[in-house]
Amino acid sequence: MIELSGVTHHYNGSDVLRDIEFVQAEGEKRVLLGCNGSGKSTLLKILAGLIRPAAGQYRYRGELIDPARLKDPDRNRRFRQEVALLFQNPDTMLFNPTVFDEIAFGPRQLGVSDLEERVQHWAATVGITAHLKRPPFGLSGGEKQKVALAALLVMEPKLLLLDEPTASLDPRSTGWLVDFLADLPVTTLVSTHNLSLAPELGSRALVLGEDHGLVYDGAIAPLLDDLPRLAAANLVHSHRHRHGDLEHRHPHVHDW
Amino acid sequence: MTLDRALLAGYLLAVLAATLVHEPAWLAGALLLTLLLAGRDAAPLLRRALRLVLLFNLAVSLGYLLLAWLRELSPWHTLLLINLRVLLLSCMTFLFMERVNLFKALDFSPNLTWLLGLAYSQALSFRRSYEDFRLALLSRSLRRPRLADRYRASAAAASWFLDRGLATARETALALRARGFFHD
Repeated sequence: MIELSGVTHHYNGSDVLRDIEFVQAEGEKRVLLGCNGSGKSTLLKILAGLIRPAAGQYRYRGELIDPARLKDPDRNRRFRQEVALLFQNPDTMLFNPTVFDEIAFGPRQLGVSDLEERVQHWAATVGITAHLKRPPFGLSGGEKQKVALAALLVMEPKLLLLDEPTASLDPRSTGWLVDFLADLPVTTLVSTHNLSLAPELGSRALVLGEDHGLVYDGAIAPLLDDLPRLAAANLVHSHRHRHGDLEHRHPHVHDW
Repeated sequence: MTLDRALLAGYLLAVLAATLVHEPAWLAGALLLTLLLAGRDAAPLLRRALRLVLLFNLAVSLGYLLLAWLRELSPWHTLLLINLRVLLLSCMTFLFMERVNLFKALDFSPNLTWLLGLAYSQALSFRRSYEDFRLALLSRSLRRPRLADRYRASAAAASWFLDRGLATARETALALRARGFFHD
């Protein structure tokens, strides 16, 4: 479904992504790991066709994608309907006067006849029916995240890209999101720097290193046992800590 | 005096002069000189400045035209003066920001450098967020966004920036107080 070859990108002369290559099959659920500033958000924006990489190619279902090609109205309509990106800050996605209008924004562009049913269905699914008549701006961070998610899912995308979706969520909402994504029959790529959550969000992982290159592409379980690789990607840390009377130091990750 | 500091002093004097001169011909000459100094960047600089001032100048000009018509005055000298002055100030500021390293220009004062650092970091963070607002609307649009949607998205972004700016200013003021500033 996704095929990247030699994708490189820079901002103001600094590398953000370096020679990224990977393939993701339809139906696969993957996690994109990397420390802050490793290029996760930029990679997701390239996959959403919002940024043109400085070099390399991105194919979605065999078709070359970049902002210039998406100027074709038919291609743009098809691609935007199938590929959805949840931004790290949900505020950037919300601009309609009510939560109902926010969820209805996409379907209205399609001119669907069952608008009311669709909106009600997805609002109920993510648990925000009580807020449908409220403006989205006054909601809590977790509620805004759910509104943004419903606004994407109502389009029934084939590929869902999520940028640090648990960053602004409390533990209860995070638990809900993990279960929700696990049951969602959609190809997903979820970025996070929270290693303890990674196995809950996908079965395979991509890891971006501090040098902005792809340092791992494979199953999650062996990655979690490979502490030197995780330390090199700045995904685990080491500090003095105690186990009863024993004080020592070794690379580890915290559960939250 | 370093070159950047000299250019800062020159820019401040030019801004003062542009507000004191009331003859459109002088302002037009200064605008021409600014564009000549911009060299190959003149056309993009003028486009950027025009985009920036268009809405504001249009609103002010229409308001003034109405007032002049009601009072039976000739509006043209004033309209030319206002529009030229705003355009000149915008062009000079864009050129100054492109050509001068403000950190070097202000390095004589630790307090000014520190204030500039605060403002600059906030501007960078806001620029990233603004880009996300723009891309988020694009990513949710199956067709070119309608004008009404773009206005709504811009209003939401402006409101977010205002809230965020106020919250950050409050936090910064508290942080300054905690570090010993604002002693009464």
